[in-house]
This record gives sequence, C-alpha cells and structure tokens, in this order.
Amino acid sequence: MRKIRLVFLAILLSMGFISAQNKQLLYDFYETPQSLLLNPGVKTPYKWHAGIPVISGIAVQAGSSGITVNDLFANDGLNFTDKVRDRVVNGLSDRDEFGAGFQIDILNIGFRNANRPEDYYSFGMYGEFSVTQYWPKDLAILAFEGNANNLNRRFNLSDITAYSEGVNVFHFGINRKVSDKLRLGARGKIYSSIFNAKSTSNKGYFVTTQGENNILRNTLVADVQVQTSGLNEIEESEDSNTSIGSLLLGRAFFGGNLGLGFDVGFTYKINDRTFLTGSLLDVGFIHHTKDVKNFTLEGTASNEGIEIILPESFNDLNSDIWQNLVDDIEAQIPFETNSDSYVTLRPIKLNASIRYNFGEQNQKTEDCYCGTSVVDNDSPFDYKNAVGGHLYIINKPKGPQAALTAFYQKRIGNALAIKATYTADKFTYTNIGLGLNFQAGPVNFYILGDNLLGYQNIPDSHYASLQFGFNIISWNSN
Amino acid sequence: MKRVLYCLFLVLLVSCAEEQNFDQFDDLSVVPTLATSIFYFESPEDIINQSPPGTFYIQTFTFEAFNEAFVSEGVLDGAITYQLENTTSKELSLLVEFLDETDTVLDSESFTVQPQPAPLLERQVAYGNADRSLDILRNTTRIRVTSENLGNNTSQSTANEPRIILRSSAVFRVRLQ
Repeated sequence: MRKIRLVFLAILLSMGFISAQNKQLLYDFYETPQSLLLNPGVKTPYKWHAGIPVISGIAVQAGSSGITVNDLFANDGLNFTDKVRDRVVNGLSDRDEFGAGFQIDILNIGFRNANRPEDYYSFGMYGEFSVTQYWPKDLAILAFEGNANNLNRRFNLSDITAYSEGVNVFHFGINRKVSDKLRLGARGKIYSSIFNAKSTSNKGYFVTTQGENNILRNTLVADVQVQTSGLNEIEESEDSNTSIGSLLLGRAFFGGNLGLGFDVGFTYKINDRTFLTGSLLDVGFIHHTKDVKNFTLEGTASNEGIEIILPESFNDLNSDIWQNLVDDIEAQIPFETNSDSYVTLRPIKLNASIRYNFGEQNQKTEDCYCGTSVVDNDSPFDYKNAVGGHLYIINKPKGPQAALTAFYQKRIGNALAIKATYTADKFTYTNIGLGLNFQAGPVNFYILGDNLLGYQNIPDSHYASLQFGFNIISWNSN
Repeated sequence: MKRVLYCLFLVLLVSCAEEQNFDQFDDLSVVPTLATSIFYFESPEDIINQSPPGTFYIQTFTFEAFNEAFVSEGVLDGAITYQLENTTSKELSLLVEFLDETDTVLDSESFTVQPQPAPLLERQVAYGNADRSLDILRNTTRIRVTSENLGNNTSQSTANEPRIILRSSAVFRVRLQ
C-alpha cells in the first residue's frame, strides 16, 4: 500500500515538471549566447563568449497538460476519491502527459574567426535529463472500475507510453553571415547517453466478453515492449556499492551509448526592420548497444477458466490442469527479456519566428565587412523595440506538439534587455513569460521565467519554467 | 531599471499557494469490480451412459486465483454465479467443493437437475458482508467437482447433442487502495 502511495505521489508531483522543452524566451534573444543552442543561425554580436562553467545555463521546466496539484489536493472539503475519479481517471485523456525536464549547460564557449570575421564558432557540452509519461487512461479506468461493468470494452495497451533519458551532448557549431540579408548556422552533436528507457508504439488490448463455452471470456492481445539501456548497471552498482557517480561520469564522457545529430538554423533579414528566423534541432539518433535490457510481452491469449470437457479431460485426471492453464497463457503471451540493441531518435524540434523592430535604433546597423568588430557594425544590437511571433513544434511519441508565442522585446540602454512573451500550447493558454538580460561590463546574467500568472497560486499552475545563467562576453563593438 | 526590478520582486511577492492537504491521499478508495470465469464442465450423454449409474466423474484440481495476494488481501465482497444446463434424459447431480491446502472442505455447492426438458438453472452465491465468509475464498487452493448420474445408463435424449454443462464465473470487489 505504501508503494502505491509513493508511486501515486511521485506521479502527481512529477506532473509539475514537463519536458515540453519550449524556450520561447531564449529563442532569438541574442543578447544571451545560449540562444545559439536554439538557433545556430542566430545573430552573433560577440567577439567571443565564455559561459561560466556549470552555471552558464540551467533550465528547469514545469507543467501539466491536464491537471494541477491544486485540482486534487486543495483543502476544499470535496471527497478525494470523487476528485480522482472525475478529474484524473475520467478527466485526463491518453494525450495528457507529465514528466520532468532539466538541462545544464556545463561548458559553452564561442569565438569569432579572426581571419574570417563572418564566422562565429561555438562549442561546449550540456547535460539533459527528461522523463515523459503519457496518462495511461484505459489502464487507469481498468484499475479504478475493473472489467465487470465494462464488458466488451477494449482497454488499449497503446496508452502505455513513457520515455526517460539522460544524455550528455558535445557540440560544435558554425555561425556564418552569408550576406547582409542571410545568416546560416549549423551545429554538429555527439550524444553520450547516460541512461535511457522507453516504451512507445505499444499495441494491443484487454477485453472481457461473453464466453463461447463459459460465462465470460477474458482476452489479452499484447505487443508491448520496454527498452532500457544503462539502468541495469546502475541497479547492480547499488547492490555492489560501486560508485554510481563514476559510472555515470564515465558514460557522460563517451563511455556509454553514443549517437550523432545536428542542428541547422538561419536568420533572414526581410528588410531593415523585419527578420525571419528558423531552426531545426536535434536531428539525430543514439544507438544503444551497451547495458541493454529489454522487456517484451507479445502474443494473444483468451481464457474462460479451467475447462473440463469429457471425454478428452479423462486424460487429465492425473495432471495439474491449473498449472497447465497458467503455462498455456504464459506460452501464448510470454514475458521475456533480451539485450537486443536499439536506436532512439532524438525529439526533433522546429522553431520559426518573425521579428519586427521599431522605435529609435541604438546606432547604425548597416554592415560594411570592414573588420572583425564590425561584422554587425557599431552596435551589436539591431533593435530598440521589437515585436514578433514564434512557432515551436516538437516531435513527441504521440505526435507533434506545437506552441505559438507572441513577444515584445525592449532594450534599455546597454545594460538591460527585456523580453515578454505570451504563449499558448496544450498546457495553458495564459502563459505570460518575462526574460531579463543584464550586462555589467563583460559579465552577462540572464533570467527567464515562464507563466508568471501561475505564481498567484503555484499548486494550480499548469506550467512554469525558469532558466538562468552567467556568461562573460566580449561584444563586437568592444 | 528600478521599475523592472520592482516588478520582478512584485511577482515574487505576490506568488502564493492555496492551502494543500496531502493527507487526503489516505482517503483515496480504489475498488475495482473484477470478473472472470472459474471453470467449465461438460459431458455428453453417451459418456454418462458408458459409466455405471452413480459417480461418473470426480476430479480435484488446483485453483489459486482467489488466494493471489492482491485478491485475498483486498477482496471486499463478491459472488460466484453457476449456470447448469441439462439436455440429457436423466436426472444428474453436481457437487462443487472448495478445499484448502489440507483438503479440508471449506464450502460446497450442490446441484440436482431434472432430465430434459429442464430449464437453465442459475444460482448466485454471495460472499462477504452477511453472506458466506470471505475466508472460504481466501483459503481455497483446490476445487473438487463430482458428477453423479441419478438415473439409468441406457436412456438417450432426443435433444441434439445431449449433454450436461456447468458454467461458473466470479465477480468480486477488490480494494487496491
């Protein structure tokens, strides 16, 4: 019972974290070098930058697409079981999801090519951890109501969809100003997987129908698979008192399963005030060959209880017909493990934005290609005020998810840039975010917070995120 | 600049949380109603006729569905439904006994059915609450089925494929939380 409670609480608490991975505040907020990770073709007004190791970028995202902690645990005097039944079991759909997401920018360095000043190179390493769990609606109904009052209803096993991974990413990117109008970027990535577990694309169902011989017939059609890598050794290290830290560290530095990927992006200047940007991130894969342990449940079995049909059953008088029945079911739907290698595709993300600058510009912005420091001319920034829209799409196990953002940016002197966003996605339609970028000499600090309205009642918030970091930046104009 | 910082602090200051009561979880009640068939018995009349009058079939078999931990620990109440269908030309009786590990009879259900045309006999036996004890089910590990011919072993029913059939199923409410 205690285990059930812990699992339930863990699920509810983890609903507070969602790996939507939309970073609309950081996208095209090029005062912050980490914006290069969202668009390798973003404007790069730096001579060089160096993120302060480990704290150059920390991002935590939180949210829930279908329910909040407050929906269940508000001290409102309502019957808790009724709340769970109405708001969770019957209220959530199989497309509702919850999970956890965390990213830490461990190393982030960039510099301009002295001989070819239109090129800006950046490289580094970041760790990314995420858990995504879709609500297993049909199985929850089966657990809550049972099958007796759900005859002929198919409880779909495809509702079992979960994904979890930890990965360390090494990257190197080139950002090139191709012309006065166009800037392109690309980033190569090596993924060093720390652990992975996934159960997606499951099929099958459980159904109870009227029996052919007996009163009821239970049928299970299953094609379910859970693939894992890296978890087995972690479990064993706990038993053998081996240092988990050194194990994970080794995997983070190419000792685990490896993969390759790339990002591409661009910024296109439509006119002096209007900019179109786009990026495609994490087009890549990881090949899992080490410490792989997969679990499968595959087959079809129907059962109407023990059957004694004479005269055939006279032959079974001395056999254990119960055990025979159990053995038959296990043979028809074997639960097996294997260590077959597998490939996971990274969740591809698409960003696109359009930005319109207005108001008095800081200084002249024409490009003259007359030296490293003037790649973007005297002022590293091209706007005083800007408005625009941003589209974000991520490929998830149950199909693409989109988010649409309207934003306003303002620069106040050379020390402060502000970005305010309004975002609508599956988690909330009232997401207002605010980003601040401070520049004190070469020291850069940014903090970006999402869904600020949710802070009025944090347990009732559907979504929240926080990103912050410190960098040292040498600007082009410096 | 000051105004921006003021706004930021204002956001943090107004952030608050409605009172939450996580102890409510203890009140959660998850009680599904589960249904499954138990066993099915069928014998054609010619098999009955091949045996001398009296018991023509007896078997004890293992049945551990009820004492699976999640059932035995969480069962609240339930019922077993029996359906008996006789299209043979003779009176028959069937006895179903629930046995524990030492083969002690914990409960039994006996049926006597008239020759064809006999109506379908359906019986529900309730367990839990004021009905029969749930301990019967919790401790049942074996079931014994005894079939007896109370008539002769020469008559033949005019029905198509005459036979005796006993169907059984169980419906139980089980507390998971």
